[in-house]
Amino acid sequence: MAGDSPKKIFKMGLWDDNPVFKQIIGICSSLAVTNLMINSLIMGLGLIFVTALSSLTVSIIRQFTPKHIRMMVQVLIISVYVIIVDIFLKAYLPEMSKALGPYVGLIITNCIIMGRCEGYAQNNPPLPSFLDGIASGLGYTIVLLVIAFIRELFGFGTIFGYRVFGDWWTNWTIMVMPPAAFFILGVIVWWARSKESEEKKEGGAVN
Amino acid sequence: MKKSFSYPILFMVIITAFFTLILAYLNYATADVIALNEETELRRTLLYVFDMDLPSDDPKEIERIFNQYIEETEEKGIYVAKEGDQVIGYAFPVGGSALWGTVQGYAAVSADYSRLLGIDFTHHSETPGLGGRISEDWFKEQFRGLDLTEAEGGEYIIFRPAPRGNVDSIAGATQTSNSVVNFLNEDIFEFISKRGGGE
Repeated sequence: MAGDSPKKIFKMGLWDDNPVFKQIIGICSSLAVTNLMINSLIMGLGLIFVTALSSLTVSIIRQFTPKHIRMMVQVLIISVYVIIVDIFLKAYLPEMSKALGPYVGLIITNCIIMGRCEGYAQNNPPLPSFLDGIASGLGYTIVLLVIAFIRELFGFGTIFGYRVFGDWWTNWTIMVMPPAAFFILGVIVWWARSKESEEKKEGGAVN
Repeated sequence: MKKSFSYPILFMVIITAFFTLILAYLNYATADVIALNEETELRRTLLYVFDMDLPSDDPKEIERIFNQYIEETEEKGIYVAKEGDQVIGYAFPVGGSALWGTVQGYAAVSADYSRLLGIDFTHHSETPGLGGRISEDWFKEQFRGLDLTEAEGGEYIIFRPAPRGNVDSIAGATQTSNSVVNFLNEDIFEFISKRGGGE
């Protein structure tokens, strides 16, 4: 485990162990912020930042951390980085801070971060842990962007705020409402799982 | 791992102090920027409700124009816009609960309380793309210059297609639209009657 190659880490984070459609964690926020692509992107970047740096920090101090209080320490570290993101957005991207509102603070409750800290960083050296955080965050962000792409396109007729469909387009109200994210996420999970079972069939003899 | 009683406590204290220090520093370092952002936001809102053009988004420029025309009255939260000695109008806070939470904003009326100059929202938690569209320009611009003298019983704003309707509501966000109009009507009525105008 000690020296996972970056390639393997990214393959795990983006596909094999993708937090959203394989582990089904971090769902709450993927439903909440995906009605506009820009919101999803900022949320994703925030999560990558927090996950990567929390994992790095947890990993650096893992040998000094008493085992039975490690969760407290992890929560503390995670909340520090979340507050940093919140302060940063408030100071330098006030518009974004307004749009994301309470969701920034809620990054702390995102299971992905705690999951990576506890599941990976606690037992691995700093650098792979850092990369693992980036990979998992990226896996989350990509899924968010896919959902947001569909929702924004059909719900508003725009992509990143640029009009794609003309005036003839009637916005689908359902896409703007939270249920749409459930449907799209469901389809993505279905697609990913069926893809996975295909892979297993093909490579079944080897394993 | 070390099995002592005091070590975990000491560890937790040190690590908490360390990270709190970092956050305290960051908070201190950005406090001015954040305060300025909030102030700029308020100024922008007030200039908007008085329908004054903003030449640029530069906070300094916004501050200059703001100080030139607008000042807070003795009553906290109520602003007056003047051009020279001529009063253009008054702005006052409006707000109420809508579908998901409270909505806050400002409205401005002309100096003789006969017209609504404009409205803007500073805070809301309505669904983006539905109720959230109350903060879009097309919705807010409808309120500019509405006649307040002919209203009966404080019903200044009425959605079309009702008789004497003067504003379009947001399709798919009936609850939000209705709440917004209700608290606007109430707050405008209250402001005008308190000021002794409205006859």
